[in-house]
Amino acid sequence: MPSATLTDRERHLERFHATRSGREKPGRYWKIDLEAVEIPSDAKPGGSVSIDAPSSVIAVDMQVALRDHAAALARVAGVATEPQHKFAHLTAAFAGLGALIHLPADRAIDEPIVVTYRAQGDSTLFPHTVVLAERGARATVIERIETGDGAFVCGVSEIVTEEHADITYAAVQTLPLDARSFFTRAAKPGVNARIAWATADIGAALAVCDIATAIEHPGVEANVASLFFPTGTQHVDIVSTVDHRVGHSTSQTLVKSAANGRGQARYLGNIRIAAHAQGSEAGLRDDALLLSKQAHIDSIPALEIAANDVKAFHGATVGAIDDEQLFYMTSRGIDRQQAERMIALGFFEPVIDRFPTQALRDELHDALPNKVL
Amino acid sequence: MSDQGLRITDLHCSVEGNEILKGIDLIVEPGSVHALMGPNGSGKSTLAFSLTGHPHYTITGGTTTLDGTDLLALAPDKRAKAGLFLSFQYPAAIPGVKVANFLFAARQTVKPGELTPGKFRTLLLEKMDVLGMDPSFLGRYLNDGFSGGEKKRLEMLQMAVLGPKYAVLDETDSGLDVDALKYVGDSVKSLRESDEGRKTGFLIITHYPRILQHITADVVHVMMDGRIVKTGGPDLAQRIEREGYDTIREETAARA
Repeated sequence: MPSATLTDRERHLERFHATRSGREKPGRYWKIDLEAVEIPSDAKPGGSVSIDAPSSVIAVDMQVALRDHAAALARVAGVATEPQHKFAHLTAAFAGLGALIHLPADRAIDEPIVVTYRAQGDSTLFPHTVVLAERGARATVIERIETGDGAFVCGVSEIVTEEHADITYAAVQTLPLDARSFFTRAAKPGVNARIAWATADIGAALAVCDIATAIEHPGVEANVASLFFPTGTQHVDIVSTVDHRVGHSTSQTLVKSAANGRGQARYLGNIRIAAHAQGSEAGLRDDALLLSKQAHIDSIPALEIAANDVKAFHGATVGAIDDEQLFYMTSRGIDRQQAERMIALGFFEPVIDRFPTQALRDELHDALPNKVL
Repeated sequence: MSDQGLRITDLHCSVEGNEILKGIDLIVEPGSVHALMGPNGSGKSTLAFSLTGHPHYTITGGTTTLDGTDLLALAPDKRAKAGLFLSFQYPAAIPGVKVANFLFAARQTVKPGELTPGKFRTLLLEKMDVLGMDPSFLGRYLNDGFSGGEKKRLEMLQMAVLGPKYAVLDETDSGLDVDALKYVGDSVKSLRESDEGRKTGFLIITHYPRILQHITADVVHVMMDGRIVKTGGPDLAQRIEREGYDTIREETAARA
């Protein structure tokens, strides 16, 4: 029944240890070395998954998928994630928990499909979500994780779509404040397909997330939205990558982050446009708000553009709340503290708008005020 | 002697160590309209920001009271609660903060507990109707992507909703836009006709006399080089319209 034999596990662990995360070493602000993350000694496959989906789609746990839907699984699993994703190897080492969502052609699902993973008392969780959307299918998938204190969560989500499919994948990470969270998310959309990511990192002591979209077909519309907000001593490390390998596709990346207390964050926004990917359009907007003197956010937009007939835009800001905004609001009678709060919460609105359901937006609206204080 | 009015006495103000206001004396009585005119760089906008407590402006001397309250001792929000309003020439854009939420928060702090959200909304829509504004404004982010005219309308809406005791309108450059001028004129008129605004005193800061075709000023002041050099009636504005500031500048120089 276990999907990974001991030898498989050893092989994956070896690759986990051998693969560099590509992240900077700890420095003046950032305190955690991602090359030296210790795996809990009691790490094991486990936990449970429940999938809330209509019967018109195939939505099964990983054990059933391996047994009954091996072909669909093989079209996605491991295909979307790149071999250089260090933490994906760790998920593979403890494989077993997961879900396959397979949308038949032209199936449009309005209600979001919710995949919930629960640690069930275990201290580790290695969820693997696989989404395959056939031609013209449309759905929103929401991933949820429930664990106890101190959990170590290392998951993978992979999406492969055919032409004209439209998939939105959302995850709001609200793990306990002493948990650690590592996610590798990857998509390969088909011709004229639309893919949208919306991720938020609210909880966990350490949250690491890679969001990669490989555009290998024309007509793709890729949207990446990320929100994170380390407070206290939380560390958040996000890398988003949109790889335009062929032309005539568009991508929009929107990242809004804030840090308070001694919160630390790093963001690397990769936009790559290959030499032959003419007619690509790529936008990257990345704003970081520092709400305390000890808070720090390193934000790096990295554009590698080898084609000449492209439209590429990037804009990045890092700073405290703007004096003129604050003065304007206080001049209307709103006290400084409330003004700061309104400005800081308002700062996130454009990215909150990218989350696909009112319930997720409400969850963020409820969680963020506690972080602004 | 009454302490009513926005009373500015020998006000000095510096920006980054440079003295901009060199002793301003001015009294705006309740219900009156004062125009403060002057060429670019005379210190008009500095006076507006000094009165409202902008952190980059340092008061180096003098006093200002609002109906007897020492305005200069208060933080900007407390000044607004005391009844002062500044219409900004260049209001800040605040993405993510919706106009309706902002207006409600401001009204609640300036006039606490007076209105439920429902009643506030009714009042808001009423004021917007008077000002000819589309209700869709309320769902937009504060000044974010607004045109110059839209920003001006929102400033005027805020004035209407907050019903200040004294309103300072910094109109220095907007005189270039004829529609905006008319709009400001109509807004001031409608506030003065409301119960709340009957006693509102106005200080209208302008470079061009044109705005005074839409609002009749009781008193006109001319400011040059950080001082008020001449005070008169509406005819003074007409004279500036005809002659510009040069003849007044020459008179002032001859007097000195």
